[in-house]
Amino acid sequence: MTDNSITTPVANAGTGEALRKTSAEMESIAREILEHGRKKGADRIKVGISGSITRRLVVENKEITLANSLEDQKFSLVVHKDQKKGSAATNIVRPETARKAVEDALALASFSVADDALNMPDATQAPRAKSLDFMFDERTADTTLSELQELMGQALARATADKRVSIDKFEMSVSASFHGLYNSLGVAQMETQTMLGWSFFGMGVDGDAVSGFDYDSGFAWKTGDTAARLMATADAFAAKVTGNLHPRKAHSYKGLVVFSPRAVEELLAGFMLYHASGSAVMDGKSRWDKETGNAVLSPVITLRDHPHSQAFAGATTFDGDGLPTRDHTIFDSGKLCLHIHDCYSARRCKTTSNAMSGGPFGMAFAPGGALLADLLRSRREILLVDRFSGNTDAIKGDFSGVAKSSRLYVDGKDGGPVTETMIAGNFFEFAKRIEAASLETESIGGGFSSPWLLVDGISVTGG
Amino acid sequence: MKALLQKIVAQTGGDTRNGYIELRYHRRQSNSFMAQRGRVDVANHSIVEGVGVRALIDGAWGFAATARVDEASILRAIDQARRNARAILASRGKKESHLQRGKLSVIDWKGPGFDELIAMPIADKLGAVINFERRLAKSSSALHTARCRYNELLEEKVVVTSDGAAASAKIALPEFSMSAIAERDGERSTSSRGAGVSGGWTCLYEHPSLENVVEETARTAVDLLSAKYPEGGKKTVILAPAVVGLLCHEAIGHTVEADFVKSGSVAQGKIGQRVASDLVTMADTGRETIAGYAVGNLPFDDEGVETETTTIIKDGMLVSYLHNRETAAEFGVAPTGNARAWLFNDEPLIRMRNTFLLPGKSSLAEMIAGIDDGYLVEGAGSGQADSNGEFMFGTGYVWRIQNGKKTELLREATLSGIAFDVLQTVDAVSSEFRWDLGTGYCGKGQPAKVDAGGPYIRCKMNVGGRQG
Repeated sequence: MTDNSITTPVANAGTGEALRKTSAEMESIAREILEHGRKKGADRIKVGISGSITRRLVVENKEITLANSLEDQKFSLVVHKDQKKGSAATNIVRPETARKAVEDALALASFSVADDALNMPDATQAPRAKSLDFMFDERTADTTLSELQELMGQALARATADKRVSIDKFEMSVSASFHGLYNSLGVAQMETQTMLGWSFFGMGVDGDAVSGFDYDSGFAWKTGDTAARLMATADAFAAKVTGNLHPRKAHSYKGLVVFSPRAVEELLAGFMLYHASGSAVMDGKSRWDKETGNAVLSPVITLRDHPHSQAFAGATTFDGDGLPTRDHTIFDSGKLCLHIHDCYSARRCKTTSNAMSGGPFGMAFAPGGALLADLLRSRREILLVDRFSGNTDAIKGDFSGVAKSSRLYVDGKDGGPVTETMIAGNFFEFAKRIEAASLETESIGGGFSSPWLLVDGISVTGG
Repeated sequence: MKALLQKIVAQTGGDTRNGYIELRYHRRQSNSFMAQRGRVDVANHSIVEGVGVRALIDGAWGFAATARVDEASILRAIDQARRNARAILASRGKKESHLQRGKLSVIDWKGPGFDELIAMPIADKLGAVINFERRLAKSSSALHTARCRYNELLEEKVVVTSDGAAASAKIALPEFSMSAIAERDGERSTSSRGAGVSGGWTCLYEHPSLENVVEETARTAVDLLSAKYPEGGKKTVILAPAVVGLLCHEAIGHTVEADFVKSGSVAQGKIGQRVASDLVTMADTGRETIAGYAVGNLPFDDEGVETETTTIIKDGMLVSYLHNRETAAEFGVAPTGNARAWLFNDEPLIRMRNTFLLPGKSSLAEMIAGIDDGYLVEGAGSGQADSNGEFMFGTGYVWRIQNGKKTELLREATLSGIAFDVLQTVDAVSSEFRWDLGTGYCGKGQPAKVDAGGPYIRCKMNVGGRQG
């Protein structure tokens, strides 16, 4: 076993080569951990390795204040011994720490409780996944701090062209990274990626008036794709925070509201995925444990997972068990098509994994047939919920919280932002009353796209 | 480690050309166990270690980190941090900068319980989790799921700066949480309880009594099966200590963090102004002495500044923001010891520690007797605050109060309001006090272990509920 911590300072040129060298060394460590685990009596052992080289800049109050260079590498492992499980992880990549981690995990397993469902896939079930060409770009890996500064300067000027935009923090980073998964049954997966990511966080300030915080973020796999996307995020962020200024109070009512793609992600998607998850099914917590093939949602809802699409930052070729990923339709016109299983929940439910451990990876709700403008005319006064800040009870389906960055539409026209407006309801009461989905869709951050949804049965409490 | 960092800083830090340098060694050992439905789902041991380096040159910060803690690697990280700072200067130019000194710490401190948790066999900790889960599961036939989780962080930190800080600390932060799902006739309800301390196993076991936590978790889940929802609207409420702590943290604490103040939070320009009723005095502390085990206790922050108690609101008047060394210099005040980083490779941000409202003179019974129609709100959930002072937080359950009496248990609710408006309505503060968010984490780019608490308070705020 070699001592292979990255010790050289981050070099701009040759980042890809440095990453490949490190990933090869980490792969070697992973294989030695597997061997040590076997020697120590583990029945099965899984090793995860990862590493990254990241450059990051931070803007606070319109000025670059921090430049950050980070190198990171770590490994984690899971052992099974007599159908008992233990795990360990560390970022101290040395031969003795790797051996110690194996022994710590085995010690934990010995004190644990036997579980017949513990399993790992073998190489037949989990053949080497085919890499995705868009995920790694040598030129992007070598992006310099100066290039980031240039891009950030342009975006900052764009976002703050309206003097009412106050940026608390604007960050941008470029990273080159790898992650791999190996197990004692012959599974061996590895993928590398480059990514630029950015986020704006701030508010609108107009004299004494201060809006609520808002944020926006984006990503690109390649430097060449970055500028246009970054400027679009800057524009969207500026529009949000200035649009939130001078809010008014909404009236209380119960009925129709429109959820934006952000609100769909923050509120509705969570309920859907929880009750479709294999872990909820195996524990008897899902209301949809016997509902595959049946209509559980309004027919306007179709949700697919696209793990190989470059539209999503979560794209990956293999899941947390090492199984090659593939596209799935989770809901089709309101019908539940499958439960989201990893190897463990699948064994407990006496089925097979659909390679979604850690997933979904790239969720897309299908567009509907209605124009957003028409959805906003569905009620004389209707709340457009853009963000949800509140509490949810996944099991019962209850939710209650503040409608942030939200607006009241009157006779289809924008009546401005609202303040101190709360929404509450129960997911299962309106799951089949999602009246319509818009033709327009929007991508949120890096891993989700959705239309706007018209939903009935929501309690709106004005301040 | 401290001697090594001091040697390196002596070699490389603190001249005119190279500016200020700060080295922060951090080793975190954690054990996490979770049992539910008779299984052990998590039995994990992890160690993260490294040195974070910040360099400040002519107003520009450079940061770098290394997971290797030998001299050569740390020297390379220093060089990289300085090059990063100079990269900013190349495009932006120099800027006047100053770090307020404050009391820079030179102590070597070991917190209570550290040695106890290091010495305790891992089998005993995992065994306790398995046993508590079994007992919770057996405590009522109506329980569908019982879950018990234990997590401990064993922190070792050393901070050495080129202007004189040279301090080390070892801190133990164990926590337990239990949750239950009850089921009857297809109806389900959930209940969660937790306890976290800065201390050892014995301290954790007793504050509060984990035996009582098992019983309360099961009872509340079962009782909530037949509970109704509260009605929405602006209500007179009594907030329990956990909820008061959440209010202090979310609604006020974030708005007075100096980085948010600079960006234009609602607290900007309000020092010396009335922001609450005169019954309200609120503080944030790294050295709480009321109980001695609040989880935000730390002897110095991640810039090496000795912590103390910072009064934020005194008798209703806003008197201080929360600062790091840089914002303290900008505002012309002493640093308050609020610079905190989650891991060695995170840069310090302004964060809270233990945030609380000071107790008053009323009794809870008197406060309930003074309400014709309102709620007693117990069990804090998660919460968020906004730059304009609008806050939201969830609560575990609610008691209806009618004609001066606690009458009916109701399901959870979400509370919201504008922070300073709500504090102006406080008309009673109890003498009873509790730290009650020991399992809490604050999220502000990085996680931070924080605590919060207070007395019971009576005020008016929005309760999110159902419209007919």
